[in-house]
Amino acid sequence: MQFQSSGLSVRSSHPSDADSLKSWLSDPNILSWFPMMNEREVEDSVKIWMSYAKLGYGLTALMDGKPCGMLNLYIQPFTKIAHTCLFSIIVAQSLRGKGIGTFLIERGQTLAKETFAIEILHLEVYDGNPAQRLYEKMGFTVYGKQDFFIKEDGKYLSKIFMQKML
Amino acid sequence: MEHDPNFDIRYSEIKDFSYVKEWICEPQISKWFPMSTVKEVEDVLACWMGFCRLKSSLTATIDGIPCGVVTLFLMPYKKVCHHCIFKLVVNPKYHRRGIGSSLVKNAKHLAKDYFRLERLQIEVMEHNPLISLLKKQDFQEVMSQSKYFKIADTYQGRVLMEAKLVK
Repeated sequence: MQFQSSGLSVRSSHPSDADSLKSWLSDPNILSWFPMMNEREVEDSVKIWMSYAKLGYGLTALMDGKPCGMLNLYIQPFTKIAHTCLFSIIVAQSLRGKGIGTFLIERGQTLAKETFAIEILHLEVYDGNPAQRLYEKMGFTVYGKQDFFIKEDGKYLSKIFMQKML
Repeated sequence: MEHDPNFDIRYSEIKDFSYVKEWICEPQISKWFPMSTVKEVEDVLACWMGFCRLKSSLTATIDGIPCGVVTLFLMPYKKVCHHCIFKLVVNPKYHRRGIGSSLVKNAKHLAKDYFRLERLQIEVMEHNPLISLLKKQDFQEVMSQSKYFKIADTYQGRVLMEAKLVK
């Protein structure tokens, strides 16, 4: 699969993208919006992410042929909830503001709807994450909030649940 | 049930999960879980029974035979390890005897005093009769999502219930 749009292209994620994913997650500015906090936890989460990508559930955005962002669909193995899907997205810190997030979410929605017949696409974002504005702009609405979800240095952050009906 | 001398609660053992599989495969139990085939149940149990090693799972027994299991699904990351989701299942033959209440009470105690957790959550399907038991044990709804379950073209919502373990 390969799409082209304003200098960006996208393909299915493959195992070699794990290094890019790990390096992006190791950036403290990015990691602050994820539940992991050290190298061991990042490695563990990369393994989980790539295990879904291996099944064709992941997309990697490329700029000049190099990975610049990834999106993963956590396709559910259970029939009763197979019409719903949580997704994760990450964009390289140095390439923010270039429309990569929008591009990936658009492609992710298409993949979810057309390939996996997803009806409800949902995500989880921590309170204060600037990405929430992008999700709202793309039609995701808040349906719930879990306070005290993250605890770091004695301070708490809420988790916000957002969804979009496809 | 707590005062019945034949009733006991102990840490879960891997062998208890053959009973859990049997209970969850009963239609009156499986209808409240996301799994709908034996294979799906087995996949969930493979993960679930892993918590025995961490001593975060409790089994209720009557005359030494398992009749219910509650398990804390401890979080793997430090920023979120102050809370966790739990799962509960009781042998349908022993429903309405206080086994679920007793397991939830013990799970809260284990979470707070042994694992130092601050909050405990459980995700249930809307209209699940377990919700009233949870409310009696100080759980409150923190989030709900409609149409989360799709069963033969009809939808059911999910509800996340939470109990605060510390002041």
